[in-house]
Amino acid sequence: MTDRSDGPQATRGDGKSAARGASPEPQPTTPPAKGAQGPTPRMALWFLLPALILLGAMVIYPIIFSIFRSFFDSAGDTFVGADNYTAIFTDASMLTTIRNNLIWVVIAPILVTTIGLIFAVLTERIKWATAFKLIVFMPMAVSLMASGVIFRLVYEQDPDKGVANAVITSVGDVFDSSQGYPGARPRENDAAPALENGAVVTRQPIQAGQPALLPLVGLKPDLLPADAVTAKAVTGPGVGGTVWLDFAPGGGGAVGKIDDNEKGMPGVTVEAVQQGAVKGTTTTAADGSFTFAGLPAGDYVMRLPQSNFTASFGGVSWLGPTLITPAIIGAFIWVWAGFAMVLIAAGLAAIPRDALEAARIDGATEWQVFRKITVPLLSPVLVVVFVTMIINTLKVFDLVFVIAPGSVQPQANVIALEMWRVSFGGGGNQGLGSALSIFLLVLVLPFMIINIRRFRREQQ
Amino acid sequence: MASIVLSNVDKIYAGGVKAVNDLNLEIKDGEFMVLVGPSGCGKSTALRMIAGLEDISGGEIAIGEKVVNHLPPKDRDIAMVFQNYALYPHMTVEENLAFGLKLRKMPKPEIQKRVNEAAKMLGLDQYLKRKPAALSGGQRQRVAMGRAIVREPQAFLMDEPLSNLDAKLRVSMRASLNTLHERLGVTTVYVTHDQVEAMTLGDRVCVLRDGLLQQVDTPQNLFDKPVNLFVAGFMGSPSMNFVTADLVRTDGGGAAVTFADISLPVPESTFTEKAGLDAYIGKQLILGIRPSDFEDAAAANGHSGTTGWARIPARAEVTEELGSEINVLFLIDAPPVEHKDTVAAKDADEDEETIPLAGDKSLWTSRVNARSHVRPGQNIELIVDTHNLHFFDSVSGLAIGHPANAGR
Repeated sequence: MTDRSDGPQATRGDGKSAARGASPEPQPTTPPAKGAQGPTPRMALWFLLPALILLGAMVIYPIIFSIFRSFFDSAGDTFVGADNYTAIFTDASMLTTIRNNLIWVVIAPILVTTIGLIFAVLTERIKWATAFKLIVFMPMAVSLMASGVIFRLVYEQDPDKGVANAVITSVGDVFDSSQGYPGARPRENDAAPALENGAVVTRQPIQAGQPALLPLVGLKPDLLPADAVTAKAVTGPGVGGTVWLDFAPGGGGAVGKIDDNEKGMPGVTVEAVQQGAVKGTTTTAADGSFTFAGLPAGDYVMRLPQSNFTASFGGVSWLGPTLITPAIIGAFIWVWAGFAMVLIAAGLAAIPRDALEAARIDGATEWQVFRKITVPLLSPVLVVVFVTMIINTLKVFDLVFVIAPGSVQPQANVIALEMWRVSFGGGGNQGLGSALSIFLLVLVLPFMIINIRRFRREQQ
Repeated sequence: MASIVLSNVDKIYAGGVKAVNDLNLEIKDGEFMVLVGPSGCGKSTALRMIAGLEDISGGEIAIGEKVVNHLPPKDRDIAMVFQNYALYPHMTVEENLAFGLKLRKMPKPEIQKRVNEAAKMLGLDQYLKRKPAALSGGQRQRVAMGRAIVREPQAFLMDEPLSNLDAKLRVSMRASLNTLHERLGVTTVYVTHDQVEAMTLGDRVCVLRDGLLQQVDTPQNLFDKPVNLFVAGFMGSPSMNFVTADLVRTDGGGAAVTFADISLPVPESTFTEKAGLDAYIGKQLILGIRPSDFEDAAAANGHSGTTGWARIPARAEVTEELGSEINVLFLIDAPPVEHKDTVAAKDADEDEETIPLAGDKSLWTSRVNARSHVRPGQNIELIVDTHNLHFFDSVSGLAIGHPANAGR
């Protein structure tokens, strides 16, 4: 503007500067015509070139080569057509792999998004919210390999090593503290009690005033609890008897009889059975004796149920073939819940408080406010988190690779891991590996497109 | 519909800040009550306590005889209009209007009926299927009003509902608010910092300052009989002129206030109206004169001779021509009144910029008839209606002779 208004003034002044002022006008043929802004297409190409080269070399070429390679056999010189692809859908272990991936995609994103949402909503209302968020977000900072190692230890079978089982067994012990005698059994002779479906049963019915003798063996004396004392026969009117370890340390002692140096087995559950029905239940004292109070006269069979002889609960075998996939999904949630929480919390902060208050005044309960206002307003963020998680679950590799022990890897397998195993981890079939990688790409692609379209719409 | 009674209501925020201090207020059934005050005076907090969005630290709030202190907002049967409209962005206008009714499990035909009625009343018929994002500010405001109307609640609470609208729209919305209230007759509590809105809308106006109630009265009474310097300075635009003056007996047996080199006679009737004013004879007090009580002597010849009108010669420093009237700003040779109440009231008036003055002079405003044609720099003779002088105690700032201040 100023240039132009200067021009006419200069013309009025003198001729020379008028020529100077006019000179720019016939020249603008060099810049692009018709008011096009910005640099020339050639210039634009130069600026784009570095990115194009990098993307071409690192993304586009590998994809095209993988497609090409997937039509060849393991050696890479025989064209096999779509054989590699048919192998994916026919081989039984491959189908397990695909099934596992399906479980992952269905379960993991929903759980991660839900838990992230719960954390985000809860942290809005607590003190120290930032500290809490930092801790929940922390697993994101740990490499996935390290997370895998952590959870391999967490899921260790031995409760002394694995945290998960330590928690479960200690909780279990609180509710079920009965002392078990795994391995204890009656002697194998006619006088000894019989073994019926794991329970020990007297061969003859017992009557009141006639003590039952239930000698057991097969247990190391030092496995008896510390409070066990020398066994004692029951003398008295009621139905009763003695359960004891019929083994005299240092030898000697008669079979089926209570000797002086034989100890009773405390805490054993004894049932009085009459015609197949349990009429009374009691437990043995420190000297192994037991009596039934208030049983009507009659013939009873003494039974020591199987629960006396089962080993105490040793924890869940997380890393076994049945639980391995849920276990790894647990680790995945641990890693990603913090990420989901932070994204959703940012979305929550952007929701206008007024709208929530208006809803409260309009008569909504807190739950209705959450469901009808918060969640709909949050849905764009929830969809982004959900779709990102779907992509992440489809691509999951590290956690499965590290957490699943070699023996259960076939049961824990996912496509990304199978791709690596087939191509490099002993399979040596890069044709099939390429086919798997293309299959995975095809699975991920639609979700990528959804995400990109969302971003684009938001930008508009 | 119901009355709203606040008794000894306190609001203390964490950290000991007292936002509302011992507030007693009775809003009658069907009344339009405006809470007005400078920002931070606790008016919004008071409203939010009535709504149930803020806890009540002390005292009691009753809506229609029922103490609501511990009721959640949804059970108070009130509707609120927010400053930023607070529409639900993911719902259409229709859904926005129906939301509160749906939550109350009202039958569908009834919802439809009420929504249509409200939409017709507010001229929203053709926008029912639109989302709030596709509406203009004024339309959004009307949706927010409609959302309150369809509920047919016991009371409307409005938190500066017009402050996000442009000036012209604000005036027309103000008028429609007035007619709306007349038609529906619902008890309304309206919060604003704009004293013009307060004056034009309220049946009664409640002036708050620092959480303390200053005065509750009809707009006209607030204007004519402000209880203290703060209310006097806050209500009315342009605001009241203040000066420290002496009340003296004149030789003729009458009384006069003198300041600078001016002496204004005080009519005898003023002493009978304002009990206790005679005790100030011979003492200093603060004199207040409304700009509208001035007139240009040249343009209003009719008054100049009559009693009760005193002349003040002045030089117009600035003139603001408003078409029907002219605001004439002139200097008085007396230091500006630096009372805490006048300062607080001035701070509240954000629109008015104070001109830093050289020397001990104060700038006064007079509002004269447009016929006066006064230009800046001209000398003008102003006449003052001495019947409408306001007198304030120079220490406490309370209006002398105001019934509410008797015994204080």
